[in-house]
Amino acid sequence: MDILSNLVNGIGQALSPTTLLLLGAGVLMGMIVGVMPGLGPSAALAILLPVTFGMEPGGAIVMLAAVYYGAMYGGTITSVLINTPGESATVASTFDGYPLAKQGRAGPALVMAAVASFVAGTVGTLLLSLAAPVTAAVATSFGPPELFLVVVAGLLALIVIVGKNRLLGAISALIGFALATVGIDIGGGEQRYTFGSTELINGIDFIPVAIGLFGVGEVLWTLYNGGHLERLQYFDVRARGSRFWPTARDWLESRWAMVRGSFLGFFVGCAPGAGATVASVMSYSVEKSVSKKPERFGKGAMPGLVGPEAANNAATSGAMVPLLTLGIPGSASTAVLLGGFLMWGLQPGPLLMEENPDFAWGLIGSMYLGNVMLLVLNVFCIPVFASIARVPFHVLAPIIIVLCVLGTYTVNGSIVEVGIMLACGVLGFFMRKFGFIPAATVVALVLGPMAEETLRQTLIISGGSFTIFAQRPASVSLLCAVGLLLLLPLITRAVRRRTSTAPVRSAPDDRIEV
Amino acid sequence: MRKRISALLMVVAAAVSLTACDATNAGSGETAENYPRRELDWTIAFGPGGGNDIMARTMVDLLKKNKLYPEDIRVENREGGSGATGWGYLFSRRGNPYAISTTSGSFITTPLQADTGWTYKDFTPVGLLATDNALFTVSASSRITSWQQWVEHAKRKGTVAVGGIGTINVDYILHAILAKQAGYKIDYVPFNEEGPLQTSLLSGALDAVVSNPAEIAGQVQARKMTGLLYTGKKPLGSLPDIPTGESLGYKDLPSMPRGLILPPKAPEFAQKWWIETMKKVVVTPEWKSYVAKNDLTEDVRWGADFSAYLEHTVTELERILREQGALK
Repeated sequence: MDILSNLVNGIGQALSPTTLLLLGAGVLMGMIVGVMPGLGPSAALAILLPVTFGMEPGGAIVMLAAVYYGAMYGGTITSVLINTPGESATVASTFDGYPLAKQGRAGPALVMAAVASFVAGTVGTLLLSLAAPVTAAVATSFGPPELFLVVVAGLLALIVIVGKNRLLGAISALIGFALATVGIDIGGGEQRYTFGSTELINGIDFIPVAIGLFGVGEVLWTLYNGGHLERLQYFDVRARGSRFWPTARDWLESRWAMVRGSFLGFFVGCAPGAGATVASVMSYSVEKSVSKKPERFGKGAMPGLVGPEAANNAATSGAMVPLLTLGIPGSASTAVLLGGFLMWGLQPGPLLMEENPDFAWGLIGSMYLGNVMLLVLNVFCIPVFASIARVPFHVLAPIIIVLCVLGTYTVNGSIVEVGIMLACGVLGFFMRKFGFIPAATVVALVLGPMAEETLRQTLIISGGSFTIFAQRPASVSLLCAVGLLLLLPLITRAVRRRTSTAPVRSAPDDRIEV
Repeated sequence: MRKRISALLMVVAAAVSLTACDATNAGSGETAENYPRRELDWTIAFGPGGGNDIMARTMVDLLKKNKLYPEDIRVENREGGSGATGWGYLFSRRGNPYAISTTSGSFITTPLQADTGWTYKDFTPVGLLATDNALFTVSASSRITSWQQWVEHAKRKGTVAVGGIGTINVDYILHAILAKQAGYKIDYVPFNEEGPLQTSLLSGALDAVVSNPAEIAGQVQARKMTGLLYTGKKPLGSLPDIPTGESLGYKDLPSMPRGLILPPKAPEFAQKWWIETMKKVVVTPEWKSYVAKNDLTEDVRWGADFSAYLEHTVTELERILREQGALK
């Protein structure tokens, strides 16, 4: 129980009035930055990191942990309310979060997301404290072949997202993969499709594309359907009225999604380079596969929001495993934190925890307190955010467009990206009009480059042979996991058929397909 | 409609002329006697928290603390395109004595892989302050403990898989030079990020990597990895037992410049002023401790000597990349 006492010490360390103040301020600042479309945790950390240079490391880390969670949740708020993810890890939250908001259930959706984040944060912190040494060993068994398989597991979600709409879905995904090839080719160092533009040498970032396809595209689509004429019933959430709280059914439906998402998120988050995005997308496909009513996914199924939210939050704790136990950053956000470590004079590496236990456990403790603070603050804040929903659409639409432009510009200060965002807005509109699937495009764009990079690395190492996947123990177990994920929908269907007493044919609502 | 367009054009024209005024004004009336008398515009071509950012902010702190720069210093992260945006901005401040920026490896490599419109030759050099060198490491589980053992192992294996960051980058060149001179063959595996590179080595997928010592020294100290060779001229302060490339007989291993530059055609008095000022900065204990803490190698060269260093490094990089077929 040495470890748990460490954790308690870490939390205790963070429980002074000053640190509580820093926590509150951090969560709020993070949330404000995160609510800007396009600005997620890594951007919030990068923006606020210089603020902490003057502080002592203990206080600085508390504040940054709080900023991290605040920004993450801020991204969820925009995903749910205006269909605009703040970073790749909250893309999956738009799939069902936004439909829920459209049904007037923004309040319950945000509360469930906050609770899911809190539960996942708790599970993640406990796993981080108890299992860090073991999971660190797992992380060091990950080379390019293993990372490739993890990304493939994430890509399987495309099948679930596309559903029955196979042809248009495949084209949507291919658009994403095509966009992903722009930029310097990591294998040969040559430029692809940059047309000589230096702005494009790092490729097309998913942020302007996601903001355009989801945010602006949705605004255009709603206008096209006459949304501006309606005297909004649309997002009807009265401040903490009876419809603000989730219903008993919401809880029942999504409690296991929360647990599955937490564990899945933590372990996927441990793999450096894969992290929260893959975890949340995987969680979405797992939830849809095991669901009794998969047809409700994409139309406002609570587990479809709760699972990915739990997963991306737990992945945050997971990403701390390689950072703290190995000194290896697993994600963009942890890379910024690592920069912070250096600045505060700490040597990142396997000895970090041993040599600076107070610091490491203080970080873990404050991450947990950041979670608690987030839940508390949100009970007060959600009605305020959800009341955005009561603004008539003809007022809201221009504001969303302005926020989308501003958010895109703020990330890299690039006007080219604003152009990409607006072009994708138009593309998003036509994709909706003709039944394409923007979500598939974005998932392909996010995961495509990772898949390409890791596969090419794998093949350079193996001299072009695919047998390398069968030669490494870690990759063999991952291959099995990928196979299992593929079979999961079939298995659940078979199990359900056997357990249900009624013949399948007599369940008419199972066959209603839209 | 036409009215609107012409109004728009007028606004654009006004904006253009305003910015043009700004650019010319900033440089006018400055003489060797009154320089510096305005706010300094300090460009960091990368985001907060990275190596370039830390170096720039350390310098700015020292300039302020020792009251070396009399006016305000405005620090801005102008990131994008692997430095192309930030240094492109500095490039556009032609002749302006109040714009300045710090360099790192991308200052050399980005123009090699993209049409940036500028190269190192365009800027007014202040000085090289330190260099980034690399540590050649293998996984501790390989049981290789010396460079000689590594070379034998590599020759026995035929071809070894080695990793580093990027393709048009010094990491690739170092691997290529070492392999050629020692007489073994490599498959070079490029990575985008440090994290996956390090776990790939630990997982046994790679035989060896070169990496930034500040980021990998922790692994060596914890005995998860073994450092075999350091490419700097002097041994690393934090890991003094690792032999340098030169002591093992490898000459001319390239390094990456940590320096300071002014815009193209910056006035000579400004260049002189900065050289004199930076001479005071590099002897402060704070600067020395920054260099040691970040495992940089002190290498100070002013003005034309800095240019000569850049030219030598770039020519070498280009020659070897062409030899390897990575550049055409």
